[in-house]
Parts: sequence; C-alpha cells; structure tokens
Amino acid sequence: MTVRLAVLFGGLTVAMGQMALGQGGAITVPKTVEAGSAFSIQLSGSGKGTLFIVGPGQALKQDVELGGTASIAAGSLYNAGHYLAIVSGASATESEGFEVVPAAQPADVTFLAKPSRLPVSLHAGITGAVYVLDAYKNLIVTPAPVSFELTTPSGAVQKRTETTKDGSAWTAMDSTGQQGNDKFVARVGDISSARVIRQVPGDPCGLKMTAKQAGPKVDVATEPVKDCSGNAVPDGTIVTFTETFHGGLSTVDVPIKRGIAEVEMPVHTGATISVASGVVMGNQIGLGK
Amino acid sequence: MQNAPSSAPSSRPIPMSLIIMAAVAVHLPLLLMKLPLKSYDTNFHIFFASHYVHHWFNPWNPKWYAGFSQTTYPPLPQQWVAILSHLFGLDMAYMAVQFVAIVLLAVGVYRFSLLWVNPRAASIAALASVFLGSESFLVYCAGQLGTTSAAPIYLNGLPYMYEWLRFGSKRSFLKAAVLFAAAAAAHHATLLFGSIFFALPILALVFFDKENGERIEVPTFVVRTVAMAVVVGTAIAIVLLPFWIALIRYPVTQMPIPHASRANYILSPEWGINYFIVPYGALVLALPFIFMRGSMVARLRPLLIGFWVAFLCGIGGTTPAARIILGRAFEVLTMERFSYWATLLALPFVGLLAAELYDRFRMKAVVGLTVAGALSCALGAAWSTIHPPDAQDFKVESAAAWLSRDGHNQYRYVTLGFGNKLARLGTLSEADSVDGEWNSGRMLPELTQHGAGALSNSKGFGENGLDALRAMLGHADHYGLKWILVRDPYYDALLAFAGWRPVDTLEDRTITVWGKDGIPPATPLNAPQVPPSWQGLMWGTLPFGSSLLAILVVFIPNKRRNDEDADETVADEQDLVHGGLVS
Amino acid sequence: MNSGRLLAAVLAVATVILIVIGTLYPGPSATYYAGAQTVLRSSSTPQAAVENLGDQIRAQAWQKAYDSLANKAQFSEQQFQHDLTGYSPSLLTYATVNKVDIRPLHASDSEADMRLKLNWATVVGSSVTTRDVHVVKNGSRWEVEWPLVKEPVVPAQVMAVNYLRWDVIYRGGGDDWGAQDVEAPHIKIVDMHPVERAEGVVILGELLNEDVVPAYVGVSATLLSKTRATIATEGSFDKISHLLLPKQVTPFLIRFPGVSLSEVGNILMDPSSSLIAASADPVIEIVNEQLNPAPDPSLTGQLINQSGRTVNVAHVLGTFYDGNGNVVWVADQYVDQALLPQTPVPFQVKIPEDLAKNISSQRTVISSYTAGGPQ
Repeated sequence: MTVRLAVLFGGLTVAMGQMALGQGGAITVPKTVEAGSAFSIQLSGSGKGTLFIVGPGQALKQDVELGGTASIAAGSLYNAGHYLAIVSGASATESEGFEVVPAAQPADVTFLAKPSRLPVSLHAGITGAVYVLDAYKNLIVTPAPVSFELTTPSGAVQKRTETTKDGSAWTAMDSTGQQGNDKFVARVGDISSARVIRQVPGDPCGLKMTAKQAGPKVDVATEPVKDCSGNAVPDGTIVTFTETFHGGLSTVDVPIKRGIAEVEMPVHTGATISVASGVVMGNQIGLGK
Repeated sequence: MQNAPSSAPSSRPIPMSLIIMAAVAVHLPLLLMKLPLKSYDTNFHIFFASHYVHHWFNPWNPKWYAGFSQTTYPPLPQQWVAILSHLFGLDMAYMAVQFVAIVLLAVGVYRFSLLWVNPRAASIAALASVFLGSESFLVYCAGQLGTTSAAPIYLNGLPYMYEWLRFGSKRSFLKAAVLFAAAAAAHHATLLFGSIFFALPILALVFFDKENGERIEVPTFVVRTVAMAVVVGTAIAIVLLPFWIALIRYPVTQMPIPHASRANYILSPEWGINYFIVPYGALVLALPFIFMRGSMVARLRPLLIGFWVAFLCGIGGTTPAARIILGRAFEVLTMERFSYWATLLALPFVGLLAAELYDRFRMKAVVGLTVAGALSCALGAAWSTIHPPDAQDFKVESAAAWLSRDGHNQYRYVTLGFGNKLARLGTLSEADSVDGEWNSGRMLPELTQHGAGALSNSKGFGENGLDALRAMLGHADHYGLKWILVRDPYYDALLAFAGWRPVDTLEDRTITVWGKDGIPPATPLNAPQVPPSWQGLMWGTLPFGSSLLAILVVFIPNKRRNDEDADETVADEQDLVHGGLVS
Repeated sequence: MNSGRLLAAVLAVATVILIVIGTLYPGPSATYYAGAQTVLRSSSTPQAAVENLGDQIRAQAWQKAYDSLANKAQFSEQQFQHDLTGYSPSLLTYATVNKVDIRPLHASDSEADMRLKLNWATVVGSSVTTRDVHVVKNGSRWEVEWPLVKEPVVPAQVMAVNYLRWDVIYRGGGDDWGAQDVEAPHIKIVDMHPVERAEGVVILGELLNEDVVPAYVGVSATLLSKTRATIATEGSFDKISHLLLPKQVTPFLIRFPGVSLSEVGNILMDPSSSLIAASADPVIEIVNEQLNPAPDPSLTGQLINQSGRTVNVAHVLGTFYDGNGNVVWVADQYVDQALLPQTPVPFQVKIPEDLAKNISSQRTVISSYTAGGPQ
C-alpha cells in the first residue's frame, strides 16, 4: 500500500512538473459532482495519457486515451471537497478543478444529547445537537429541518423543529417534575436517532425526622425523603444526623434505605438533634431533660 | 623448616592454562545457568546495557527518575554487554563479560602476586582467586559487574606500573596508563581506592626493593611516580570527562541511605554472615598467618598494611575505622567491595601459606585446601539461593507487557514491593518510571531529600521511605505518574486514601495495578542534567575505546631484562623462610 | 620482641580495640541495623528498664520484650504483641517504631511510673501511641508492668447488611462517536478560600457530590501570580475523602509550601470526578465529639462501626468553621486501631493553637479502608 501511494505521488509530482511547463490544453470536468456518484471527464488531444484526481484524503490514477472520455465509477470519489483533475500526456499536462459535494439525501444523523442524567424540573437542562450526514459521512451543509422530540416519563411530549445551519442544529428542553427516563429523538426526514435521558430527583425538600427514645439510645428516622416535586430521593443518598449536647457533638452520615434514613444515637439530656442532606437542612428535635 | 629443592616438581608454578581451565570448570556452568540474575545488581547493569543497545551515543535514560544521565556511572562493562548482546542477547552477554572478568582476575592475581611472592605461590594465589568467596559473592549475590571487571584490569596494570617505577620501562608506562584508564572506565571507585590499597604498597615496594644492593634514587622515584600520576590522572579525566562534569555540577548531596554492609557485624550477626563470613569463607582461617607473615617479612609489610586497611573498611560499622577513613563516602559506598579488595590483597599470602602447607603435608594439604576453596566458592555462589536478595521470586514479563500496551506508557509508573525486579521491569517495558535503583543518578527532590532508596522498597526504609513515597505520590500530576504496580498489600491503604483505585490485576492476582483519574500524560522533564551531544559522543567512544586500546597495547612485547634483573623482581625465597610455618 | 612481632601485635591489638569501640559505641548506621541489641544496658534504673523495653519493641524483638515484663504471667506473648500492633489488621500491624520517648511521671525506691511514647512509621504517616507504665523493682533489676488492653469482644451475632451498591457499565469501545455514555458525577465546590500559614499558602474548602450516584473525587489548584504566570499546582492528596456518596460533602486542603499569599493573583480550582462502583457500607457513627480548647486544642470523639465487617483503617477529616460558618481549618487523623463492629474507638484530631480561638463549630467526615475492598 505504501509503495503504491509512493508510486502514485511520484507520478503526480512528475505530472505537476510537466503541467508547469505546458498548460493551456482542454479538459472538461463537471463543476460539481455528488459524492459517490459516477461521472466522466472529456479529454482533448491524442495518444495515451494518465489521469490523476487528487482531493481531500483521496487520490486516483487512471490510464486514459486522450481525445476520449474518462469514466469515473460510482463510489470512487466520496469525500466532499475541492478536487483537481490532471491529465498528463506525452507532450503536455492539463488540469481542472471541481467540487465533490455531499449527497442531497441525509443518510445518517449524529445526535449528541446532554446530559445523560439531570435533576427534575430544570429549565433548558437538556440539550440536543444534530449533525446531518450523507451515506459517506459528509456533512450536509444545505439547510434541512430537524425535528426534536422529548417524551417525558409522564408521557408529555416536548417538540421543537430547527433548521440546520452549516450542517448542524441544536435545541434545549426542560426536564419535567417526574423522575424517570426521557426518550429524546432527533429526526431528519426518514432518519432518526434516539437517546435516553434520565431525570433524577432533585435535592431533598422539607426534610423531616422523628425521634423515639429506646433506653440509652434514641431512634432517629426521617420521614420518606422526597424532592420538591414529590419524587423519592434515591436510596444511598447521604443524610447527616447531628446531635449537639452540652459541650459535645455526635454526627453520623447515613445512607437512605427504602426511602428513609434511620440511625440510633446516644441519649444526652437536653441535646438537640438536627438533620441535613447535602446543603439542605431539615428540622431539629430537642431531647427532653 | 626445610624448603623443597627448587628443581623439585612441587616448586614449579601451576600453569596458567590449568588455572584458566579451573575457572572455566567452576564458573562457566554457573554463568550458563544465569545464576547472577538472582543477585542484587545484575539486572541493574543489564538495564544500563539495554539503554546503550538502543542509544549508544545518548546517555540520557528516561526510563528511571523521569530521566537521568548514565554518565553518572562508568560504562565500560555495560557497553561490552550491549555490544555482545547483538550476538548472545542481553542476559548471556552479561554472563560472557562476567566470565571474561573472572578469567582476567586469575591472570591479574598471578601477575600482582609475582611482585610479592615466588612464581609458585603466585600461581597458587591465582588458582585461589577462582575459588575466592568474595568473588563468588560479588558475582552471584551482589552482581557487581563494575567492581569485578575493574579489579582484574587494575591488577593486570599494577605490574606494569612497578616495572616503570623500578626500571623506567616506557612500554610498561604506556601499558599501565592505558590499563588504569580502562579500569577507571569500568569502575571509578576501584581505581580511586585501589590507589590506596594496591598502588601505595607497590610504591613502597619499589622504594624499599634493592637492585644490585641499592635502592632506587629518590629523585628518579619521585619523577616517575609523579609522571605516572599525572598521565594516568589526565587519561582518566579525559576518558570519563562526562562523569566528572556530572559529579562536579550535580554532586551527590542527597540524604544518606542505610545499607546493611555498614552495620556492626557483631551486633547484627545476620549481616556479619552476609558480609564477612560468606565473602571471606575459609580465608578467615588464614588471617593469623597473614598478620604474622606480613609482619615478619619486611618486604610484605606494605601489602599487609594495604590488606589491613581494606579489611577494616570491609567490616563496615563493626569498627569506627571505615567511618573515619572514608568520611562521607562511608555513607555512600557499600562496604562489601572493600572486603573484596582485602581478599585480593590477601591472596599472595594465601599462595605462600598453601605452598608451605603443601611442602609439609603434601596430599593432605591438597585435599584440605581444595575442600576449603570449594566450600568458600560454593558458599558465595549458593548464598543468593540460601539468602536470596528477593524473598519472593516472580515474573515481571506480564507487568512489562501491561505497561507497554494500550497507551499505558503515555504515563509514568512506580512499583511497590517489587524488590530488585525494578531493573528487570525497566529493561523489558517501554514505560518510564519515577523510581529507579541508581541512587546517585537521581535528581528528583522527592527522592533525594528523605534518605531512602528505591520507592519500590519504601517500607524497608521506614519513615524516610514512606515520606519519600508520599512526597512522590503527592506530585503525581507533575510527573504524569498514573500507574502504581503493587505486589505488597501493605501500601493499599495509602493508595486508597490518596486517590488511586485498583484497575487491573496481573500474575494470578499477585500484582495489582492502581490508577488515578485526571493525571495528565507524562512529558519529558526539561532537566539541566541532560548531557549535551558532545558528551554523548565522548561517552560512546572514549571509555569503550580505552578498553580496545588496552587490548592492543598489552600485546606489545616487553623488552626482556637480563635474568638477574628478573630474579630480583620476585621475592627472594630466603626472605620468605624467615616467617615460615613452625613445625 | 623484634619489629615484625611488634607490628603483628600492634595490628592485632588495634583491630581488637577498634572492634570493641565499634561495638560499645556503634555509629548511626550500625545502630540503625542493630536495634535493641545495640545498647548493652542493664535495667538498673526505671528509665533503663523502660528504654530497654522500648528498644526491644522498636526491634520487634517481641519475645525479649515480653520476657522482660514483671506481669507477663497475666497474658501471653501473642496478646502483648497484638496489644501493640492491633488484634485485627490495622495501621500498626505492619508499622515499625522509629523513635521511643520516655518521660518519668513518678518514682520511689521500689516503684516508678513512666510515660512511654512510641512513634510509629505507618504507611500513611507517623502515628504516636502513648502508654503509662508502672515499673517495679525486682531484686537489683527494674521491670515494667505492661498495662495490657484486652481484645474487645464482639458478641456473636448475625448482622443483616443490605445497603446499596452501585456498579458501573461503560459503553463498549466499538461504539460510534456521539453514542451516549454514562456521565461523570456532578460535583460542586461549595466553599473555598486560601489562607496564609507559616509553611506557605493553604487552600481550604468543601466539595459536594450533588448527583444521585457515587463519585470518586479529587481537587487540584493552580496558583497564578498577578501577571497570570503559574506559580505552582498541587492536589489535595489524602486531605480529602475521595469517595463521595450522593449528597455527601468532603472538606479538602491543598498545601503550597513556600508560597506567600501576597504573590498570588488568582487561583484556578480543578475539581475532578469519575464514576465508581461503590457501596454505602460501612456506616461509621461519630459519637461524643468534643472541641477541646487550648492548650493542645483538638477535636476528640469516638467512632463506632455500625456495619458487620471490620474496618481496617479509618480516616477522620474535621472541618472547622468560625461563627459565620466560614471554613477556618481542615485537619485529619488516621485512626491506628481497626474498627470492630459496634466497638467504639477513640480519635483525636489536632487543631493549630492559633486558630482554635476562632473555631465555633465543626463537621466531621470519615473515610475508611477495608482490606480486600467492598464485597
């Protein structure tokens, strides 16, 4: 492969040298060619020659009869961009530039949906960006409508339609109040791509605990811990109980289990027990004398 | 006591060919078994050699300490290993160089002993060198290729120095100078301390020896000595110039690292066995003879004094002598090499003793001496198995492969609990480490400020080692230190609390790879210690060139002095009768 | 005596004298390796008896140390060793004593009380254990009565442990670009400010895991000069709890030794988080926390492991606030005893004396290490 490329570029270098010496001949190339499509190049002159086509990430070499037509098979040129066709004959070298453009029909969309996980009730917290591509992964830069559709756990649907600019389009959507999985779909024509966004409970809201003395210990337990939208805060979330007594303190970080956080703490007369989770404070309970 | 007639078969020296055959018979099988690979330092030398294989003219090695200069260690034996590795591979090339050093030692001991004792005793001394416990200990347990290569070259050069000083032979002057330069290129400390232990006794010998009943004239003696010192000093300065530049610009100022060879061998008898009994072996039995004969025979007294000083240094912290004599070097050098030099200095006495024992007891002496020599050699060779440097033997190939694959080598690594497998892993893997086994070459402040050796053995250095490890882990971001390969769960708690997580296991789950997220890839350190290219060129040509030159010059034939002269250069038989064994 | 014999005698005598000197007065290197055998000291005074015991503990000569005790009949050698190094694997199990301090408390002709302070070199740093020992005279010798702390007994029981575990499944390596992956946990620095100390600049703060999944976190900071040149970058290393469960807060402390706050123009904070398989177990309760005022200000308390597995090493991180709720200092201590289930273990976190007067409240978090990891 390396050797073949070296030969190709060696020939190309020679051809470029000759081109510098004798330009001015005729070579007819379509101004634009759709990526992956077949096309032909009209060649002037007579005798045998070599056709080189050089473009972004691609180079072709083909022996041709001057004065005839060189056919380029479908699928030969597939990277969009500016190409140069060079014909090298016995006496002269001719060249002509042309554009390979993406296919008009979208064949794929790359859909970046962020984040994969976010709290409920967050305005414009979900973003989706789409890149519209043809079958050869060329970015289709002609404007195209993109439909974004977010189906929330409650079944409510948010829809947006955006038009691509320079091949991409994006949107922002809100997370709703109910925890669960959102289905986020981007559609361009018949092509669609789906992502799952997980709506998770927010910070605990109205954190409240109760205490029950049992001998030298006091059982402290929260009520079911929920966020402000009423979603149960997931098990494993840390709740901190702090018992403040005369000159002393006891703290314990307890993970929520089956919706509540519960712990036994030593009884100190006149002590105050408080509860918190993250930066959210809950209620306080004073232990009687 | 009666001496055997000089014409009797027993007074003839043992042929050198027989001595070399003994060396082949004893050491070649052990080397072919690659026994030195179990030693402390063999893999260290192979690691250095592996760098020379790929970068002959670039002594900057990025594989240890995030980069260090190999000009901090004389390169000659390692360069020979690198050259020969193209034929035999690194391991066997090491064994080949070591074998040549063993054979050269026998020749060197013979030539050196001839200055002090008769040819027969000298030849026995040469044979004894094959069975020397300290040689076996250094080759098979310590793996000190530098020391065991430099000493034979140096010993072979000393008789030429004698001939120059005594008789003014210019050819001998040239040969001595070239051999000394080559010895320095193999191991600088050997030459430095060899000047005290080996060369000073010879200077005394030259000064006190008489030719035609007259001593050498003092001015002649001084001029020749100064000429030799100046020329050799200049040659060594040039051959090892990058070494001296590195030493002067970046002197070893780091905190001293404890080494068991500096222990008191009475208070720590386990180290006494390791560093005294094993290297000396049956030579311990000859100590009274060495002191008595060395004192009684005036001509042997310089040799005795040289032996005594080396002996005191070799027993490390058992006496305050080594600390007083060596100063700060006591905290930097390891002491087993002094015992090695002491035993080499003792060999002429051993030759005398053996000859006299043979004269008196014949076959009984032969049997006894053979058994004593064989046991000494066997103990030194077997000690790495009886008392292995690494309590746990394990393979590092899987760790090396892991470090070399999937882009893991974009980051640096450290091993913990790998013992002296560090160099082996460094040789095999393509990744770079911030740790290493060449303490004098390291410059990273996290390593030099705590008085501990390799991070891999931090636990063994107590608080100092653990402080160094924590300092290095604390700067992991700076060095791109992402991977910690752990073979000792002792360190797990520290790694867990410092933010590392287990990411893989190797070698049947005996090695755990820990990684830390967010560490940027390692970048080359812009260290001022990187030697310029001209130093690399010198390092690649002069030390190795000095050895090639040495090989060439020793083949220049010496002018033959007349027989009378020759007779006077060796010890007079009558001198030796004075202190003979009392029947 | 001729000169030869004289020389031999001189060398031999000099060698013997040097060996005797080297053995009676060993140098630092020799002492390092000799340990307890270095000092040929008889237990003729209470101080010497405790010094000998300390040296034997330092050299891990357990049998010699045990044999020297006055009350050895009350316990076995193994109990004595475990009393010092832990009945369950802990920080001290593999640590070595690198320094022994002895202070007399009380002495009479026949008995004395001494304070024995053992400085251990553990893998996470130095740790000091202090024992007040009673020394009694037995004939001409003094012997130490060791104050053995017996192994705590955990009653036999079955503990149901059903706390949550989180596992992470990452997307396969062959997926296309743009395919969805699991997102790193969302974390937030909720407090941060630099302070100037004698050692240099120290950055204090708190980090919150505001996500619903566990996070493995770290914080690093870069100091910029007033000309926006980088002065230094350092990380929190172990002055942080790296594992944060949902809604958990950890303090952090980052040291910049040798840097003056006046040189600093800006500080870039770089918190990092990654997903990690984790368990909500073990839960460690902190009880009887007390802020002890100067002199020797500290935070003391006890840890109670509420789970059924032994925690080998616990790390106590204290965050100290002033009256306005600002972080004043972050300090830590590794607990050198293993945390057996339901068994209180004391801790003491030292607080700088100059800051103690500003502290009005604190918050303590515990991170723990269990050998073999969560199962």
